[in-house]
Amino acid sequence: MANQERTNNQIPLYVRLSTKTLSIILGILAAAVLVSAFLLLFSSAESIPILQSLQGQNKILFVIAFTLIAAVLGLISRGFWNYKNWAKTIIIAGLLIFIIYSFINVIFAIFTAIFAGESVVPMMSILRVVGQGLLFFLSYALLPGGLIYLLIKVDQYFKETQRQREFVDNAIRYVLLGTALSCIVIVFLIFLFTMEESLLAVEEIGIGDMLIGTIWRPGSIIGTEDAQYGLLPMILGSILATFGAIILGVPLSVGTAVLLAEVAPPIVRETIRPAIELLAGIPSVVYGLFGLVVLAPLIRNIDVPRNTGFGLLNASIVLAVMIIPTITNITEDAIRAVPREYKEGSLALGGTHWQTIIKVILPAARSGIVAAVILGVGRALGETMAMIMVIGNSIAMPESLSNNPLTIFLNTARTLTGNIAVEINYAAGAHRSALFFTGVLLFIMIMLVNSTARFFMKSKQVKQ
Amino acid sequence: MIIDQAQSSITKAKNKRNLKRQNTFQTLGYILVWICGITAVAVVFWIIGYVLSQGLQVINLEFLTTRPAGGVSGEGGMSTTIVTTLYLVVLTIVIATPLGVGAAVYLVEYAGDASRESKVVAFLVKAARIGVEILAGVPSIIFGLFGFALFVSYMKLGFSLLSASLSGAALILPTIIRTSEEALLTVPRSYREGSLSLGATKWHTIFNVVLPTAIPGIVTGIVLGIGRIIAETAIFWVTLGGSYFLPKSIMNSGRSMALHVYMLASETRAFDKAMGTASILIIIIILLNLAINIISRRLTARVSGKR
Repeated sequence: MANQERTNNQIPLYVRLSTKTLSIILGILAAAVLVSAFLLLFSSAESIPILQSLQGQNKILFVIAFTLIAAVLGLISRGFWNYKNWAKTIIIAGLLIFIIYSFINVIFAIFTAIFAGESVVPMMSILRVVGQGLLFFLSYALLPGGLIYLLIKVDQYFKETQRQREFVDNAIRYVLLGTALSCIVIVFLIFLFTMEESLLAVEEIGIGDMLIGTIWRPGSIIGTEDAQYGLLPMILGSILATFGAIILGVPLSVGTAVLLAEVAPPIVRETIRPAIELLAGIPSVVYGLFGLVVLAPLIRNIDVPRNTGFGLLNASIVLAVMIIPTITNITEDAIRAVPREYKEGSLALGGTHWQTIIKVILPAARSGIVAAVILGVGRALGETMAMIMVIGNSIAMPESLSNNPLTIFLNTARTLTGNIAVEINYAAGAHRSALFFTGVLLFIMIMLVNSTARFFMKSKQVKQ
Repeated sequence: MIIDQAQSSITKAKNKRNLKRQNTFQTLGYILVWICGITAVAVVFWIIGYVLSQGLQVINLEFLTTRPAGGVSGEGGMSTTIVTTLYLVVLTIVIATPLGVGAAVYLVEYAGDASRESKVVAFLVKAARIGVEILAGVPSIIFGLFGFALFVSYMKLGFSLLSASLSGAALILPTIIRTSEEALLTVPRSYREGSLSLGATKWHTIFNVVLPTAIPGIVTGIVLGIGRIIAETAIFWVTLGGSYFLPKSIMNSGRSMALHVYMLASETRAFDKAMGTASILIIIIILLNLAINIISRRLTARVSGKR
């Protein structure tokens, strides 16, 4: 007790005054919430105009919530009166949330005023709106901001016991564990929801019919005939497009990786690598747009009947460009990971640099390159929007346009991903469920592909 | 003797021929590899150059500050899509950053502490790591399906900014976790020990010492996440709706820039407007890449300077 007195005496007057005032304000607030809870309990909802929107809701629930809020506010007020650190932290957090909330409101208001209209807003009124908004925000944020500043300034007068410190430390530990589990929870939820939604299709249509069926004719579109949900055309479309992308993209990427890792001088390397990285960041719709506007007319020049320019070839080219960064980066890493001694040994035996690359370095980096290609396959299988834009989206089985079997690549097709994206927004019932089944199928395929890639990556690490 | 000499001269000639052949092979190989590299770079410049050269012709102040007029003509500007993209990015980052950084902090700072860890926690940590790996490989349309099933239909949030940004947060979570983990691992052990020895608790050490040191790496992760959200289309195609009006709250439908490109290209004939929007997207992505390069260069400079 004497100790308490002493520390209290050391606290300057202005700190005591401001904290006690804030605490009293909080206490009054708590009391007000409690009183309103009582008012709510003993009056009919019709008599208070604000509460009419609550009609039909459970009144008791609101009373309980109000009482709880009042209790929490009272506790904080009492803790603050006694200079408890936790009360201060809670108050700062609350004020911060208030500031952020008002900031978001102001931003929404400003953007709505400037951008929502159909005509150009003149510069002067833009400036006026921004100025007004900022003034508004300042008037809201000034008081809480000042309070936060004050509380941080007088930080040293707030105390916490050892037990509280340990409690907070432990609590944060478990909160962080919770955040760490977010990923696996999301994976679980993805599984749960896609599986659950596709159950209807599995029951009504059957897995076999969907996997082997060659006709995709959702009843909700055509209506007169029986609906059929065969996914084989899309599976074939996905596989063929990916295959074409691999044929076109892998040699290019591996060659580029060899150039970057072994052949090119540093200056060239430093210019090529950012360009390739940029390729990874460009939105897939931009590739789709490019395929639509530039590649399709070029492909249309190939003289084959019924060649529209859209189809597997276009899709393969676009996909090949999209998987270049993935394959190049991982292959280059794999080549760089080959031990120096291998290369030196080969050169010392009189092999030329090129012989060393072909006969020593590439075989040594083999598993890494395989992993890179498989990851590229995974990326290609999962690509959606660019595919819808260039592949033509026909639901028939892809077949060659003339006697030459290669003309199959000029035919239109549809990928699994495209199947989902094109129809999901208006599908219902079994149709929708079949689309979710498509998603499950895609998910399983890509999980298999990725775990194979991971297997190759791991075997590479073990060998070294 | 003579035969020996003759043989050796033959082998010498053979060797010489072989060497010559190998050198020719080497030159050919180099040429091949250079062609590959130049083709790859040429493709980059072709795509970017074409889109920019077509797109920059459409861009002016009016295009940037009026909203799309809707309909099949594709008239109007792109103002609302810029703002919607901004909202989406901010919301997604606000949702994903605390989760991602928290997860990275736990995985680096707390997990593997065998003395305090029970078997259950060890199992959960293992599950968490596997979760990050799996989630990193999931294609975006699956995130879209998931968001559509969970947020749009089951939780009845409808096509809205909120459900789109929740699904988007799931997409960038692994990116943020991985980069933050790497950033936290580069913080020297001595920093933590110094702080702990001064009597700070573990959380105080992390919050006041470890996280501030790791901030550049964490920011890199966030910028990567921003890039992915700006470039993402499939998720928002199935969760954001695609209304061209400006969302007035987070429960409204909207249209991001990438989605706008898709809708213009697939539903209208306004390819020039699509090119304009796409070139704005490309410019933003180039700027973000530059930002990441600058941050990482500073980071490496700092790390090597400290050594």
